[in-house]
Amino acid sequence: MPILRLLLALLCITIFAAALSSAGMAKDTGLVFVSNEKTNNLIVIDPKANKVVKDLKTSRRPRDMHFSSDHTKLYVACGDDDVIDIIDVAKLEVVGKLSTGSSPETFGIDETRRRIYVSNEEGSSLSVIDMDQNIIVQEVPTGAEPEGVFVSEDGHFVYVTSEVGDLIHLIDAESGNVMQDVVVGTRPRRFAATPDHKELWVSAELSGEVYIIDREKFTVESKIEFLPPGMRKTDVTPVDLRITRDGKTAYVTLGHAAHVAVVDVPTRKIQGYILVGKRSWGLGMSRDEKTLYVANGFGDDITVIDLRTRKATVSIPVGRIPWGVVIDD
Amino acid sequence: MGTLRFAHPTFCTLLGLLGLVASALAQTAPPPAPPRQHISIGYVEIEGDPRYEPVRAYERLILKTRDHPFAGAQIGIDEAAALVRVLNTEFALERITVKSSAEVASAVVQALEGRDIHFFLIDAPAEAFKPLAASTKGRDTLLFNVSASDDGLRREVCAREFVHVIPSLAMRMDALMQYLTSRKWRDILVFEGPLPADAETVKAFTRSAQKFGAKIVANQRFKAGTDPREREQNNPALLSAIRGNYDVVFVADEAFDFVRQVPYHTVLPRPVVGSIDLEPVAWHWTWEHNGAPQVNSRFDKKSGGRRMDSADWAAWIAVKMVVQATLRTRSADFAKQRDFILGDTGFDGDKGLPVSVRPWDHQVRQAVLLAAPYMVVASAPVEGFLHRINELDTLGDDEPETSCHLNK
Repeated sequence: MPILRLLLALLCITIFAAALSSAGMAKDTGLVFVSNEKTNNLIVIDPKANKVVKDLKTSRRPRDMHFSSDHTKLYVACGDDDVIDIIDVAKLEVVGKLSTGSSPETFGIDETRRRIYVSNEEGSSLSVIDMDQNIIVQEVPTGAEPEGVFVSEDGHFVYVTSEVGDLIHLIDAESGNVMQDVVVGTRPRRFAATPDHKELWVSAELSGEVYIIDREKFTVESKIEFLPPGMRKTDVTPVDLRITRDGKTAYVTLGHAAHVAVVDVPTRKIQGYILVGKRSWGLGMSRDEKTLYVANGFGDDITVIDLRTRKATVSIPVGRIPWGVVIDD
Repeated sequence: MGTLRFAHPTFCTLLGLLGLVASALAQTAPPPAPPRQHISIGYVEIEGDPRYEPVRAYERLILKTRDHPFAGAQIGIDEAAALVRVLNTEFALERITVKSSAEVASAVVQALEGRDIHFFLIDAPAEAFKPLAASTKGRDTLLFNVSASDDGLRREVCAREFVHVIPSLAMRMDALMQYLTSRKWRDILVFEGPLPADAETVKAFTRSAQKFGAKIVANQRFKAGTDPREREQNNPALLSAIRGNYDVVFVADEAFDFVRQVPYHTVLPRPVVGSIDLEPVAWHWTWEHNGAPQVNSRFDKKSGGRRMDSADWAAWIAVKMVVQATLRTRSADFAKQRDFILGDTGFDGDKGLPVSVRPWDHQVRQAVLLAAPYMVVASAPVEGFLHRINELDTLGDDEPETSCHLNK
């Protein structure tokens, strides 16, 4: 009798597990995706073994990547083919394409309104794409070389940086009008929002700073300057940044300075620098916030950082000029 | 209690009247929007400037097409369009074409006095600058030199109204020499052409060799031609058949004529640098870092397919400096803008290290690219060449070396 019960229990577990996996499909594979600008591929890495499990061909010059909210699809902006590739995360293959403006670089998704907002580096505009109809419904003119895109949590506003204009545009998502601009440091690149929705952090690559914008007033509230020991100010070129869910810690890649800065968000104090590879740009953080992945553009590899010890543990070769990292977890 | 007061009839009437007056006022005199400011930047060029004539092998075979860097200035203006909203300021170029170098100074003075233009891009050869310095001395103007790289303008002429945006010859030669010595190619054979510009180039190159510890093993004067009686001077094989070894051949040939025959014709198999194959330049159409592809692409569109070169870069960044000065000082006041441009601020020149103006001779410090025909081989300052303040000052006349002290 006990054996029968055990068997029954095992059967139940198996059925349950099967149900879970089929419902979730590709959920929580934990796989790490790295886009490579020059080799036109995504390298997919199994984070447990730190091994490459798939070399996924994409359209030319893949850069920014975002998952759909259910993580069944991965969207990849491909700058040289003016498309966003849609990847089936379970099958690990390209299953569709969305047309964009000229040279799409980064984008934000609003799944409620079924919109993608993508910055067109060469076209000096933000394209608003209807995801279902695959058409550009609007082009919003921006300053030259728009880059970072951030869609507000309620979907009402889109924030875009202009690298050449040293500006952040605040765009009304409904009308597509630029409502306000704020001037920041030289060559603003990417955004990270604090979880309380009050602040927007913006990296300024050439002035080597992060600007903190008060979202309610849309003004610069303060800024943070970086200088890892032994580095020159001119090497400090911050690009990507992430803020933890508790709103306490921010991580910022410093480009040519080959370090990631760790910032205490409430006090703006720099807690330390973690050595990574050459021209560190894109960042990916695991959901448990224990691991950070850094794309090293001039090292053709990624650095894996253990966030508990704040040390790099391993670097993994990927393709040529890795741009960004996302994790399916 | 307080709310009762609002119900008082007289008060209400008064309030209503006030409202009426206010709305009437609003209709007749809307709050005046601050008038939009206009900043014009003069672009002075010389009609038929021989520096822009195509380089030909013979009449119908054009080796290089060249053009005034006006399109470079134009992309700078286009980029400022997004700032109109923020600054309430529009930027425009006024293209001023004169007949000769001698007319440059008077054209600038006329525009300065008559049309309130303070910033000028000067696209003229060196000879135009001395009279220009004399006639603008002490005036409220900044003159951006976008195409004359002569060292003398930074040394003897030495005028505070100038900003030399194009790298000096000394900077370019230092950049090349840094690269050669970094490869340990320290024994150099020099071929010097017949033009005064060739002599100037060799002079600067020799100075760079002393500075960075290279050795010029021989300096051969060449003369283009096919005359067999002059073969010792016109045959690259004979010219390069010297006693002893050399690592590299440096050619100074402003005419871009003889130099074409040098690669693959030397007695020893050695790389050729200088006027061909590996050239030190301010900009190159294949530069692909620091946002350069986007600038090249905007330039390509604006110019109708021309490849962006050094003078185009200089014109572009000069306009950008004026725009940034307006943006960062939030002012259209010339004195404030000038102080900003000549101050410590760095500008984004898409060449890595931020560019800025040297206070001693007003040369724009910047990286110099070492360009092969289809690839930028390296960017100087080359790694390992250090400076106590700014590595960019390892290129060209540093403060202790210069004879021009505008900051003193």
